[in-house]
Amino acid sequence: MKLYHTSKSCLVLGAGAAVLASTLFWSTPLIASDYSISGESNTIFRMRRTIDDKKLLPAYEYLHLNMTDNRSDGTGLSLHIGGWGRTDLGDSPTSDSADGDVQYAYVTYRAPKDNTAVTFGRQFVSEGVAAERIDGLYLRNDFLYGLSASAFFGNSVITEPGSAVQNQGGTFVYGARLSQSNKKYYTVGLSALKGETENNGKYREEEGIDLWVHPLQQIDLTGRSTYNSITNGWMEHSYLVTYAPLSSIRIGADYAEINFKDYLYNMTNPALSVINPVWNANDKMTAAGGSVAYSGLGNLMVSADYKYYSYDKSGHANYFGGKASYSLPQSFVVGGSVHRMDGVVDKLCYNEYRAFASKKIGQADLTLDAINVNYDKKINGVTNSYAVTGAAGYEVNRKLRVGADVEYSKNPDFDREVRALVKATYTFDTNSAAEGGTKK
Amino acid sequence: MKNKIVIMSTLLLMLSLLYACANTNSLPRVHPEDVRSLGMPRPNCSECHTDSWSALNHRAPNYLAKHRFYAASSRQVCSMCHTESFCSDCHTRKDEIKPSDKFSDQPERWLPHRGDYFSQHKIDGRINPVSCVKCHGRQNNQRCATCHK
Repeated sequence: MKLYHTSKSCLVLGAGAAVLASTLFWSTPLIASDYSISGESNTIFRMRRTIDDKKLLPAYEYLHLNMTDNRSDGTGLSLHIGGWGRTDLGDSPTSDSADGDVQYAYVTYRAPKDNTAVTFGRQFVSEGVAAERIDGLYLRNDFLYGLSASAFFGNSVITEPGSAVQNQGGTFVYGARLSQSNKKYYTVGLSALKGETENNGKYREEEGIDLWVHPLQQIDLTGRSTYNSITNGWMEHSYLVTYAPLSSIRIGADYAEINFKDYLYNMTNPALSVINPVWNANDKMTAAGGSVAYSGLGNLMVSADYKYYSYDKSGHANYFGGKASYSLPQSFVVGGSVHRMDGVVDKLCYNEYRAFASKKIGQADLTLDAINVNYDKKINGVTNSYAVTGAAGYEVNRKLRVGADVEYSKNPDFDREVRALVKATYTFDTNSAAEGGTKK
Repeated sequence: MKNKIVIMSTLLLMLSLLYACANTNSLPRVHPEDVRSLGMPRPNCSECHTDSWSALNHRAPNYLAKHRFYAASSRQVCSMCHTESFCSDCHTRKDEIKPSDKFSDQPERWLPHRGDYFSQHKIDGRINPVSCVKCHGRQNNQRCATCHK
């Protein structure tokens, strides 16, 4: 749903949102005994100059509201709304001087038994093969013998309603997942998703099996295999396993196989379409990797990781490196990483370095973050790309925080680019203490 | 037709029985313990849990890669500590600010597209286009279309 098309309508909507927020806020004492209301408002100003010398000064408002039933067993109805709006105070990067979006807006009911949930509205459904944003209905329930079932249906939330049909990403989508689990050892799920085009044609047909196996407390295996019934081929097999022989050591391994023609079927993004000549449509990517992390030195954590990418028709690449971080809870964190990407073509060869630190001093906090990518071969005459960000924040009180950051970067596409951002975050929660704290 | 009615009725009856006999308590809507009070930016669930939830150690190096499987299997567990806005910080549908720009004061947090991602996306997209698909394959791609027509 496109929210606004003009500055005027943006102002109207912004005023409406402000009235709604203030109405909820001031009416809080009247309904606080039955419902708790929590929310967050982020007001953001950005400043940057484009390559064609436009001076961009967009102002954003991100608003999240949750209204939750206060029943002691934590069940009942709740309402969740989140969205953002933007208006340009300077030049506009596009033809629209204002824009916005409703990210989610749904009502959900949770029953005291069997994890029964019914959710209606704009929501993000994550069930087996489905990771979809829909305007529709979602249902789930636990049954006997560790069985659980969920189902959903609705309209795909498309990005640009006004665009050509082939760019909209389907219309009606529905799916379900059935799982059986033993809480101590495993969960296995079967799921399916179908999407239709505007004229009821097949757009997507995907089925999958997902696993979560933990035969011992030290071992945890997760993964999924997904099949495309339209192309009659496996889209992916992706599995990760973790072994923790000691509480301070974790060893991870992962394996994935992706068939491009099956996975990239019916993408609306031309860059990711299976017909993009950048990759071979019949190619198959295999990725395998591992990692080791050690956290036995107090607040210090060190890790090393490796990943191997191979393609049936387009060579291979290695990505490897290490990370270290030291953190004092709520007070100080410092860290860094070094990685090397080593591909068969020059463009895929680079070293990547990152260092960051953040320190809280009383009500204030300071952050520095630097990322450097060093390409083996010049891209647009540049081998050394970097971005340095300095940020500062101040907690005015428990509810209000203000902050600002400046980023300086040089890269193959921009020479000495400076960006700035100013942010004010206001959070409110009428009844968090009774629940053991607010959610993040 | 008669067979189909019998099969459907049997399935419905079985489902009703399974539902009626399940009678387990739902997970609490909010995690009983405020994990942030434990003093860590990311919790290690195995510090308290010894069952399957112990796997949800957010400090594990491959937790980011695994979280999609946990969310696709047990989303209700995630929602005990996270509101929808936490997911939408990164899983946006149509957003103009990179997550790493919105939260530049949280350098330890896993956020996609840090640094100069305009140059980097050409490399990441070539190495593994699938990594872009979930967010930009069928939606949230109007900015991609500016160049990729």
